[in-house]
Amino acid sequence: MNQTLADSFREFLNFLGGIGLLARDVFRQFFRKGNSLNLIIEQIFQIGHRSLPLVLVTAICTGAVMALQFGLGLQRFGGTLYVPRLVTVSILREMGPVFTALMVAARVGAGIASEIGSMVVTQQIDAIRAMGTSPIQKIVIPRVIGCFIAIPLLIAFANFVSFLGGLAIGVTELNLDAQFYILKSLNNLAISDYLSGFGKSFFFALFIAIPSCYLGLNVKNGTTGVGIATTKAVVTSSILVLVGDFFLTKLFWIIETWT
Amino acid sequence: MDLITVRNFEKKFGDKQVHKGVNFTVRKGECLGLLGGSGTGKSVLLRSLIGLERPDIGEVIFDGIKIHEMSENQLFKVRKRMAYAFQGGALFDSMTVYDNLAYPLREHTNLTETQIKDKILKQLEDFGLKGNEKVFPGNLSGGMQKRVGLARAIIMGPEVILYDEPTAGLDPSNTRMIQDLILRLKATGVTSILVTHDMPVAFAVCDRIAMLMEGRVKAIGTVEEIERQETNLIAQFAQGETL
Repeated sequence: MNQTLADSFREFLNFLGGIGLLARDVFRQFFRKGNSLNLIIEQIFQIGHRSLPLVLVTAICTGAVMALQFGLGLQRFGGTLYVPRLVTVSILREMGPVFTALMVAARVGAGIASEIGSMVVTQQIDAIRAMGTSPIQKIVIPRVIGCFIAIPLLIAFANFVSFLGGLAIGVTELNLDAQFYILKSLNNLAISDYLSGFGKSFFFALFIAIPSCYLGLNVKNGTTGVGIATTKAVVTSSILVLVGDFFLTKLFWIIETWT
Repeated sequence: MDLITVRNFEKKFGDKQVHKGVNFTVRKGECLGLLGGSGTGKSVLLRSLIGLERPDIGEVIFDGIKIHEMSENQLFKVRKRMAYAFQGGALFDSMTVYDNLAYPLREHTNLTETQIKDKILKQLEDFGLKGNEKVFPGNLSGGMQKRVGLARAIIMGPEVILYDEPTAGLDPSNTRMIQDLILRLKATGVTSILVTHDMPVAFAVCDRIAMLMEGRVKAIGTVEEIERQETNLIAQFAQGETL
């Protein structure tokens, strides 16, 4: 029992250390010669464009469900008028970034870990190294930068679509005027409401990309290992997004209060 | 002159001590065959020569450079002088055959796309792969993948080529083609190490052969010496005797 606990703790520390070292290598090699803009653009397309349908469906449903829930809850107290503001702030501050990040963690995190893992198994990563090039520059950096650019854009898109989802429900189910809904949503909306949510998106991008790349690069035991790494990538990225969200919310809260 | 030196090389995987002090040298322009049963660590040894693996104890020296002490970034420079022909080709499956061959040229040379194209087309023709430029590796046969891998490995004109079972799983015609190619490269002065189980190929292309057994080099000698000695370990291995 103690041995298993000790092994798990050691594995956890190895994982944390590995992630830290990979993040350091990514940062260092990003400023070196040999990075390819084409590879980064390709990853932005793969991560961003190909995630659009999933993000679209998730965002529109989130906005619609929140408007419906707040509407039903507040109707009893005559508080329907507060629905637009409540929905919009919740979406911008929390729901848009977190739900989008979770969806992307599942789709992109799994994709990154399985793709890199398969490259390890088929010795493609070794081939990159053997030809005097860096897998960090050719494989990891394009994916990290791809996530770093695509995920905030996806979140901005999700925020807008969620707002439209809420608006549609506000108009059709809660009998609110569309102009009223928009005005109420935007009125008293501070830039910090938007930035505190959007600011998290860059951290979420790193929480998804770096562990997924790390787990892919450290695949062992052939194709079984690829499956394990893929599952771990989704679980780890999702947990990091959720746990990180709490601390980032706290951080942005402190910054807001301070400013 | 020794170009590659392996000294007291030890490597352990988990509880299994695979290498217990391997020693050998490879002279410039020489082709050394590395033989041994399955699981004796021939490929690990080969990978260590290019820094893909590191010894737990011991030294790997290439042209006076201590490979085992170098960081991954320092190794990039050394790896440009060496080529590793992977057993399965290790082709990038998201790229066409053309882009696979273009990869090292685009990374390490200032050649124009036209010059790269000319070089690749000639290389493909030499390897009997003409017309496959736009094909993805997944659509090639095993033998063809192997040949593309080899073509990619040597396209930069390396000083040293490390062959990891280059003829395993190939038909006699493809085996002959690879054998001729190794001989052709050897004639240009390239130093090579060949890990193989294919004894006729080993005897045809190698200057010396080393036998890896029980974690050490148990026997080493020229092809002529081995052919003369009936009791030699390498000769026994070649004849399929249980050692």
